Amino acid sequence: MVNVELMSEQMNNNQQIGKITAFCCNYTASVATDTLREAGLIPESLDVKKLPCTGRIEVPALLDAFEQGAEAVFVAGCRADGCHNLSGSRRAEKRVGYTKKLLKELNIDPGRIEMFFVHCGETQPIVEAVREMTARISKLERLHST
Amino acid sequence: MIIAEQKPLDEILEMISGIEKLLILGCRGCVAVCSTGGDKEVGILASALRLGRKKAGKPIEIDEETYVRQCDPEYLEPLKEDGKKYDAVLSMACGVGVNFIADLCPEVNVLPALNTSFYGANLSSGEWAEMCAGCGACVLHLTGGLCPVARCAKSLSNGPCGGSVGGRCEINKDLPCIWHQICEKLTGRNQDQLLREIVPIRDWRPSGHGGPRRRIREDLLP
Repeated sequence: MVNVELMSEQMNNNQQIGKITAFCCNYTASVATDTLREAGLIPESLDVKKLPCTGRIEVPALLDAFEQGAEAVFVAGCRADGCHNLSGSRRAEKRVGYTKKLLKELNIDPGRIEMFFVHCGETQPIVEAVREMTARISKLERLHST
Repeated sequence: MIIAEQKPLDEILEMISGIEKLLILGCRGCVAVCSTGGDKEVGILASALRLGRKKAGKPIEIDEETYVRQCDPEYLEPLKEDGKKYDAVLSMACGVGVNFIADLCPEVNVLPALNTSFYGANLSSGEWAEMCAGCGACVLHLTGGLCPVARCAKSLSNGPCGGSVGGRCEINKDLPCIWHQICEKLTGRNQDQLLREIVPIRDWRPSGHGGPRRRIREDLLP
């Protein structure tokens, strides 16, 4: 179950600490974000980008999200053992890993990007992903000036 | 193909520290095939450098371009003029491309984004291994097609060093001893008489020890 109070608090926090971009699988995480948005539980500062499969995500798109002003980025795909396209979310996980390496080389905290795995129909993992990324960037200096 | 790998980002950022307008120039030859300097890698490097410079409070203007090859003069022709618009051109080709730009486009400030590594083969997605040293005096007809110059850690010409154990190289246990493999292969093919042939001390001049190499085919000259 989604904790409405916590999510409201999250929304306020998010507006203060900056944009989070979420790349979501069309089959799993996107459904969850739609449900949460309809319930008014997606913070304005969460920029959701839907993909036919997270395996489609490429490193330039992840870096571009940071260039476009994201303070944090996460990819939410199918559970690794239940990917709609077999290995899409595992591929996405590798690309997230490569992007972490690049961020580290740039002295940018690699924790600003993360991969999350979500079962179809689950909303709680998305809430937790937003909460986790918000918590991480709230402890860091802003990448982008307001 | 020529295998290369990107230089660390901090080294590249240091290299372009005074640059305000940069062209990142990829190559669709070997370095694109080994996923180091093609269109996609140009995009990744451009994004990373923009992020790095923005974080340092020194934003940079970066254009992206990829040529068919950087080792043929016709493809570099546009760069002679276009390159002047930039403080520097960061080449994502192998060292050949960087050198050729420096030769043909003397007014362009060309910088290398890659370290050129070796001539290799693609073992699987994301994995390459050295197969040829470009030594200029091929002996593969004597060794079952397996190169002792490139694939033996000591580049031995007349059999194994004696340090290998269980068919693995003593320098690196992850590597097979190529002389062990050559012996197994030639013996299995009843070609072990080739192993008795004494290969004379190698003439390293064709390998570059005689200075930069050049090859000319008269019938193709203009």
